[in-house]
Amino acid sequence: MPEPLLTFKDVNTYYGDLHVLKDVNYTIGQGEIVSLLGGNASGKSTTMKTIMGVVRPATGSIMFDGTAIERISTAERVRRGIAPVLEARRLFPRMTVFENLEMGAYTRKRGPEFQQDLDRVYSLFPRVKERQNQISGTLSGGEQQMVAIGRALMARPRLICMDEPSMGLSPLYVEQVFQIIQEINGQGTTIFMVEQNANMALSIAIAPMCCKPEKSFCPDRPRRCGATRRSARHTSASCRSPDRHAASRPARA
Amino acid sequence: MDLSLDLLGNALVSGLLLGGFYAAVTIGVSISFGMLDIVNIAHPAFVILGSYTAYIANSVFGFDPILASIVLMPAFYLLGMAIYHVYDVSFERRGDASIRGLAFFFGLLFITEVTLVLVFGVDYRLVDAPYVGPSLHVGVIDLPLRLLVPCLVSLALVGALQLFLSYSFLGRAVQAVAQDPMALRLMAADPSRIKRVAFGLSIASASVAGAILIIIQPVEPSIARDYIGRIFAICVMGGLGSFGGTIVAAMTLGIVESLTSTFYGPSWSPAVAFGFLLITLAVRPSGLFGRG
Repeated sequence: MPEPLLTFKDVNTYYGDLHVLKDVNYTIGQGEIVSLLGGNASGKSTTMKTIMGVVRPATGSIMFDGTAIERISTAERVRRGIAPVLEARRLFPRMTVFENLEMGAYTRKRGPEFQQDLDRVYSLFPRVKERQNQISGTLSGGEQQMVAIGRALMARPRLICMDEPSMGLSPLYVEQVFQIIQEINGQGTTIFMVEQNANMALSIAIAPMCCKPEKSFCPDRPRRCGATRRSARHTSASCRSPDRHAASRPARA
Repeated sequence: MDLSLDLLGNALVSGLLLGGFYAAVTIGVSISFGMLDIVNIAHPAFVILGSYTAYIANSVFGFDPILASIVLMPAFYLLGMAIYHVYDVSFERRGDASIRGLAFFFGLLFITEVTLVLVFGVDYRLVDAPYVGPSLHVGVIDLPLRLLVPCLVSLALVGALQLFLSYSFLGRAVQAVAQDPMALRLMAADPSRIKRVAFGLSIASASVAGAILIIIQPVEPSIARDYIGRIFAICVMGGLGSFGGTIVAAMTLGIVESLTSTFYGPSWSPAVAFGFLLITLAVRPSGLFGRG
């Protein structure tokens, strides 16, 4: 098992009186792709918000890279290396693609590494480079998702938290986005994602977890699609069969 | 016939120049209301405050009112930052910015106005500068410098603000905060800090707007209220937060008012101007250059 990067220990989060996360425990290891699956209202997005510090847990602790982060601000969490890819992308719609990427590097403004990071994003997403001066609100959903992922990369994160990266995308783009997620992971960035597209998520995740409203999370290591840490490519291959199988079933309600 | 064509030409030109001045008064609200969603109805009061500071600089120290107002911009900027800070801590963070925030700015409007009345009285004040009296003549068209200079200064002010917003990192952050403050917070930015800067700029613009107001017409404290309706009308008509739209809407309103007061009498001009706003909103609800 790789070194733990993010650990939830007995986390309880409330929205007012509503108890959303109940004694959640899990660990994400360095270099893993972990996807959290679950239906609507099962606490997936709340988990994301708890990681980013948008909501604070009432009890429990969150460790990132060995230090407790549950009391520090969102900004500080981003500085320490957690970057979000937000649900529904949330680009700045009337700004250009480049300006969106620039905002992603907010912690470092226009530092010397800015150009390096920009080049990295452009080499991962040649399409984003082509569109760098276009107003981001006029891009297609898939292109916007690429910009959103690129924007997260501009913060030089160690962990990227993605909230439903496949939402609202055409199947072709879903495939592309998931390929790129694996590529980013291959370069050493840990990925934690929340997904409803179970087929896709299972096909690339090293450690899928599920999220249910009542019982909270499955145990902290629910099912690993590979006994030891593998490269994303292998993992993806080893997970293909259950995925195919799942795909042949009728869609669930 | 000849005479009325002259009249028409002059009305159009003075409308354009007047519109240029309206753009300066409105640009601050385009930032605070259009971009930051802060209903700063006290903005005209700060414009009048700008008129009085320019008046003091001019009548007591003999400085040019426009230059003095530019030099005083940092003081207005700090005032704006302070006001935003109070507003942010007292209302915005608690989530009751809409109604109580409105009351807050309404209070500021009256406090500023009453303070000015107590200090300066209710007499009309004027400034003196070389460009207040003379006019240029181009054919049959009169270009009074008293209107032309403010119009040019106003366009320069709007242009400078637009350059700042488009080409500086902080300016782009202001645009981002206007579009999605939550997303920007998740990029590790502090939206309150960025909004404080933007609000400071909007009040700083009132310094210059005030100086050109007192060049165009004599000023007394209560005329601030006359401008509230016009300013918000221009801001909405132009499309919230769009500077280009603000200029076009300001000039349109200026021309409409000028034509109405030339051909039908000045008392009709507010009615026609607001009628124009209603038609604009009926046809294009997001304003001329709105967010769509």
